Amino acid sequence: MSGYRWDFAPVLQNWRILAWGLVGTLQLAVVSLAVGLALGLVIGAARYSRNRLLHWPATAYVEVFRNTPVLVQIMWFFFAFPIVSPFAVSAYTAAALALSLNTGAFAAEIFRAGIQSIGRGQWEAARALGMSYPQQLRRIILPQAVKRMLPAFTNRGLELLKMTSLASAIAFPELLYGARTIATAHFNPIEAYTIVALVYFAIAWPLTQLVYAVERTLRRNE
Amino acid sequence: MGDFSVVWRHSDLVLLGLLGTLKVTATALGLGLPLGLTVALLRLSRTRAVSFPAGVFVEFFRTTPPLVQLFWCFFALPILIGVRIDSFQAAVMTFALQSSAFFAEVFRGGIVSVERGQWEAARAIGMTYGQLMRRIVLPQAIKRMIPAFLERAIELMKTTTLVATVAYSDLLFQASDIAQKTFRPLEVFTAAAGLYFVVIFAASRLVQVSERRLARTGESTAH
Repeated sequence: MSGYRWDFAPVLQNWRILAWGLVGTLQLAVVSLAVGLALGLVIGAARYSRNRLLHWPATAYVEVFRNTPVLVQIMWFFFAFPIVSPFAVSAYTAAALALSLNTGAFAAEIFRAGIQSIGRGQWEAARALGMSYPQQLRRIILPQAVKRMLPAFTNRGLELLKMTSLASAIAFPELLYGARTIATAHFNPIEAYTIVALVYFAIAWPLTQLVYAVERTLRRNE
Repeated sequence: MGDFSVVWRHSDLVLLGLLGTLKVTATALGLGLPLGLTVALLRLSRTRAVSFPAGVFVEFFRTTPPLVQLFWCFFALPILIGVRIDSFQAAVMTFALQSSAFFAEVFRGGIVSVERGQWEAARAIGMTYGQLMRRIVLPQAIKRMIPAFLERAIELMKTTTLVATVAYSDLLFQASDIAQKTFRPLEVFTAAAGLYFVVIFAASRLVQVSERRLARTGESTAH
């Protein structure tokens, strides 16, 4: 163990590759989070609906994406989907599609649980004032529910950040792929993967602390 | 649409892959659970020199992507220690460590949830720490943790698909292989996703049933 001499210089000299990788990672994470949250709200509302034509497909979607591995979803969108897709599918498109749909399925469950946690009285009062269903949701229910859902969403964002590393399996140039490139060129997997692990940790750890802080504040307020 | 017979014709390889998936999952689970309990007990220790490293271990493995950990164990570790590590060993090591970090948090939550009175009563009748844990706290805590454990085990099974990237023949790896040989990626990957769904969905249903049963006796801490 002591025989190995650590040398971080080749990794640091190639910081541009890692910087580009980080941009790819963040881009994938931010886009998938935005699309996933919007999708999750729609699907969550559809799952809450009493209309079976809305309820049933929404449930099937959520179950399929929650009960299959993300890497399988990414591989499916990269290798299988192009055959039936009307448009060209790049590694980025495939990864963004898989991660957005995956996040959408988990977000739908968070929205559903959050909305269901609001007391019946709130709905009834809003209806008594003559609000339509979208108005009830937008003005009364969501503002209260979103606050409770905040820790769960931050957790999802964290999971998503970690999941973006899987895009390296279909050669999307994100952070881990950058490390792989450096490790292959300079025969230094130890330093390359160690640095990348530390970069992920440096981004994700403050997020976990944020979750704890938000949870503590919410517990004090409720 | 599609010709799923290619999947059927290669069913022996698919089964072999599924077996590989289950083998990695079971081994990592078997090592990850006791390791998780150990880490949880260390993290609960009042000595900071003990609880702090345990905390760092948990935070590190929870906040870095499992694929990075796997690459580190597969590509970096063998050079560092000068021992050959095959993809199965690297996968089991990674997923045992990774899941133990999550299991440690479940154990910790469960142990902390046992009322103070139970601890005090056990101590009052002269039990040592080990006896108190084994006879009083853990039996109560573990029952409450069952749904959370099952959920983590399912997550672990989903995570094991990553071994396909280091060429261990799990279900996903076999699917990629068959897809390449037959030029039928749509059918093969769809069938593989379907197979994963069947196994994982059945397991999730089991978790829900156990959750409901434990909720009825008021013993669950899962949420």
